[in-house]
Amino acid sequence: MSGFRHGAGRVGEKELQFSFDGRMLAAREGDTIASALMANGIEVVGRSFKYHRARGITSCGPEETGALVTIGSGACSEPNARATMHQVTSGMEVSSQNCWPSPKLDLLSINNVVGSILPGSPFSAGFYYKTFMWPAKLWYSFYEPSIRRAAGMGKVPTEADPDVYDRVNSFTDVAIIGGGSAGLAAALSAANSGLRVLLMDEHDEFGGQLLNEPRNLKDGQLEQWRLDTIAALHAADNVTLLCKTVCWGRFDGNTLAAHEVVDGKVRHNYHKIQAKKIIIATGAIERPLVFANNDKPGVMLASGARKMLNHYGVAAGNKLVVFTNNDSAYQVAFDYHDQGVQVSALVDSRQKPPAALLKGCMERGIPVHVQCVVTKAKGWHGVRKVAIADLAANGQGVGQTRIIECDALLHSGGWTPQVQMAAHGGTPPVYDNQIAAFVVDKQAEDTWSVAAAEGEFGLHEGIDQAVMAAKAACQELDSDANDIVKPSHDLIGDLHIEPLWRVPSKGKQLVDIQHDVTAADVVQSHLEGFVSVEHMKRYTTLGMANDQGRTSNVNALAIMAQCQGQSIAETGTTRFRSPIAPVSMGGIGGREIGAHFKPLRRTPMQEWHERQGAVFVETGLFRRAQYYPLAGEGINEAYVRETAHVRSKVAMCDVSTLGKIEIVGPDAAELLDRVYINMFSSLPVNKARYGLMLREDGHIFDDGTTSRLAEDRYFMTTTTAKAGPALAHLERCLEIDWPELRVRVSSISERWAAMAIAGPDARATLQKAFADIDFSNESFPFMGVVHGQHHGATLRILRLSFSGEMAYEVYTEADHGEAVWQHIMDSGEEFDIIPYGLEALGALRIEKGHVTGAELDGRVTVGDVNMAGMASKKKWFIGKNLMQREGLQDDARPKLVGLKAVNPSEAIQTGSILVTETQAKAGVDKQGWVSSMTYSPELNNYIALGFLANGPSRHGERIYAAYPLKGIHVEVEVVSNHFVDPTNDRVKG
Amino acid sequence: MIRINCPHCGEREHAEFTYGEDASRLLPANDANLETWNEYVFERDNVAGEHLEYWHHALGCRSWLKVQRNTLTHDISWVGFPHDTPPAQGEVKS
Ligand SMILES: [Zn+2]
Repeated sequence: MSGFRHGAGRVGEKELQFSFDGRMLAAREGDTIASALMANGIEVVGRSFKYHRARGITSCGPEETGALVTIGSGACSEPNARATMHQVTSGMEVSSQNCWPSPKLDLLSINNVVGSILPGSPFSAGFYYKTFMWPAKLWYSFYEPSIRRAAGMGKVPTEADPDVYDRVNSFTDVAIIGGGSAGLAAALSAANSGLRVLLMDEHDEFGGQLLNEPRNLKDGQLEQWRLDTIAALHAADNVTLLCKTVCWGRFDGNTLAAHEVVDGKVRHNYHKIQAKKIIIATGAIERPLVFANNDKPGVMLASGARKMLNHYGVAAGNKLVVFTNNDSAYQVAFDYHDQGVQVSALVDSRQKPPAALLKGCMERGIPVHVQCVVTKAKGWHGVRKVAIADLAANGQGVGQTRIIECDALLHSGGWTPQVQMAAHGGTPPVYDNQIAAFVVDKQAEDTWSVAAAEGEFGLHEGIDQAVMAAKAACQELDSDANDIVKPSHDLIGDLHIEPLWRVPSKGKQLVDIQHDVTAADVVQSHLEGFVSVEHMKRYTTLGMANDQGRTSNVNALAIMAQCQGQSIAETGTTRFRSPIAPVSMGGIGGREIGAHFKPLRRTPMQEWHERQGAVFVETGLFRRAQYYPLAGEGINEAYVRETAHVRSKVAMCDVSTLGKIEIVGPDAAELLDRVYINMFSSLPVNKARYGLMLREDGHIFDDGTTSRLAEDRYFMTTTTAKAGPALAHLERCLEIDWPELRVRVSSISERWAAMAIAGPDARATLQKAFADIDFSNESFPFMGVVHGQHHGATLRILRLSFSGEMAYEVYTEADHGEAVWQHIMDSGEEFDIIPYGLEALGALRIEKGHVTGAELDGRVTVGDVNMAGMASKKKWFIGKNLMQREGLQDDARPKLVGLKAVNPSEAIQTGSILVTETQAKAGVDKQGWVSSMTYSPELNNYIALGFLANGPSRHGERIYAAYPLKGIHVEVEVVSNHFVDPTNDRVKG
Repeated sequence: MIRINCPHCGEREHAEFTYGEDASRLLPANDANLETWNEYVFERDNVAGEHLEYWHHALGCRSWLKVQRNTLTHDISWVGFPHDTPPAQGEVKS
């Protein structure tokens, strides 16, 4: 036991109960998990990432490196939560992590012992790279699982997260990041301008370092200023205040990303904020000192211990030692002493601390050890004594050690301005010797870094900077920010720091406490030749834990610079990346999960298919009916039955997913002549024509059927997949290349339902359904278009065939789609009509030898699909020039062929390569590939389409479709791709 | 997020747009030789700095726009229609 409830601080008197590892504990309302655990005297709260060393509470804020816990249990549990950043709620379940059976007795801490005994110890820098190289096959079976068991932090729940998360898009004129004294001042100043102001802070209360100060300091003047300012901001309706909100990234166009913990009906909000101006008042955080066992529970950042005392009313211990290299920790010692806690020693590594501070210690009777360092923290679970020693004048060695008893060690290695947001904005931080830390020395456009975030630690100076920034920001937006009243009491910000990057003594000196990276690891990476800080970071994994190196970065860079014998400025810093704090995936996903992950596009007949018990398949955003199984049928039985039914009777398929584009204007025909390889200006009204479009590079872009509805009006269909790109292509042509063409194009894909009726009885079915239309071959020939009406529905019927049977496509308004569909089904009953799905549609078109996206994959030319003859010689069209390229004209290119399995029941795998060798072997001569396959009920044979070098001249040849990965080698006969009705008798019948 | 000020719709985020292509290329004549067409379709400068490019406001008004973007900073200094010309260097102000 070391910590205890000392006074009230700012938290309420009301008590709550929560549990830690199953044990019920008391907390005060307003306590964080960390302050409540400390108030209950709990020192060890978990075990470390790699070495399973005992871990306690190391801070009082977002920089926490030790107290990572799991909150809750089951599906809602949150692993790796920083105990310092979550308020205790009544009944909250908190558990320690990474230890078994308990944090105090952890059996895996053997890693720590082994790590100290063996040279090239496990888990030291580069361990993964060097140790587990050989034999490689053991990696997955042994090394990786063992390391995973030993290393790592909390466990991610395996259940789906039942909580709700939201995404919030917001716009603001002035965004202020950080709600300490400077942020509050900037907000209040800017609020007076009437502009929209957004102030966010990651803590649960605004005030920043003001919360570290005793509430009653100077009669409570500071506290009153803080409360008054917050109240004034709450009262201003142009100000949005977000606490528990961390701004974790800054992106192009002044976009800020922030994560808000709500814990109400919604758990977290992800804010995407568009800000015109950005004021960065993110403050600074304290750095640890690097000495042996500086990760031991009871060793804590001095400022964190101060906030524990003054804000939460919790003392870090009964008997303290304070260790520092700068002025700031003296006030911590004074506060503790003045509130009745014994400070046994103040150890200052500097030669000459300011006289006023020494006087303050003397008045209080605090023993000061000048030019002295703590070499080691000692104790079993928590610190019980420290070894201190004189520091040599050159800083390179220490004298005899002496022991001081204590139960908490508070340390301060200086302060690191939080420059991440400025760095994300494109301003690289530079090293400032004055404060021994990195700062931004120039401001990016629309951005002001102020106060501690910019290296200015004084209260009044910081507020002045913040108000100046608010004024400048508002002025750029043609508004005026006001001066504000500063608190009458000032806090001096001079650090007088003399860097002490590493105590020159032996033992495990942690640099990155959260990731178990030691000073020795950094030195080792230098000795192994890593020169760049980015490489050192990756080799040692420093700064890669969820604190993103907030406390460790500067110390590591400095140790590296020392090794290299150069300045810290020369060594430089690693790149700051987002997110700078842990962000929940739930927040980023927001409501776009499950069925809302992407929109479902439904065809007008979707519900009919659902009622019919269709099995669906995802195609883009659509879920299309794949087949309609009868009792006991699987996919193979169903599609073969449906395919055969089309060829023998009649069946109908929903083809509403086709892209549909209306093209209108006096130059509509001219546009089509330019985008299609074949002629459309010569197409008579009420006729349809199959067309092929190329890209400018001469490869096929898309195909489809376009019909002419009037002299100046065409109705284009595209493939389902290319519906969007084809429209964008036409728009691009009209707006960029040929603005002189008087044509409008619009997508009407959603407006029209489409259904294909195919089979020998298709004509009879439709004739019965729509008696006032003449479906005879004479008045409605192949490729004809006929218009009609049915109970208020417009009918646009095209006679075309994808299946190779006599077939029609019926288009009607989407609202009437299901009614017309049902009417055709009813009318076809006497002809035994059935619906058929996408699988049968595919089988039919393969039998007929039609190409789709599987063949038109963006790499084939018109010659490759044996359609070079379609290209008009009388006109220019897109792609005409570059399709002439030598390589695209080569006769030896793989060309479309049909493939028929020699053994009729042997399936040909899509993706197989076509070879002449009887065996698959390495380096085989690949002569083509298989693009689509099906079982053909018409031929009672497995068939396929593919591309084969010199294919059309090789009909009759026997070759092999090889799938070496699966050991499949199928003998196939090369045939024409038109397996069925090559003379088109059926479609024209 | 890059934000593009569409002349029809106002400032919108880039998720509404689709990048089209380099807008500094000139469409060759239909009967231009293979070389010219090859250069038009395949040759691109990898510009470090101000770049003219087409963007399609696909989830907005569906206009194709000409945009002047700095490839180093993502700053967009000018947006116009495909046949507009951006003001000369120095006069540009978004
Ligand atoms: Zn627009």
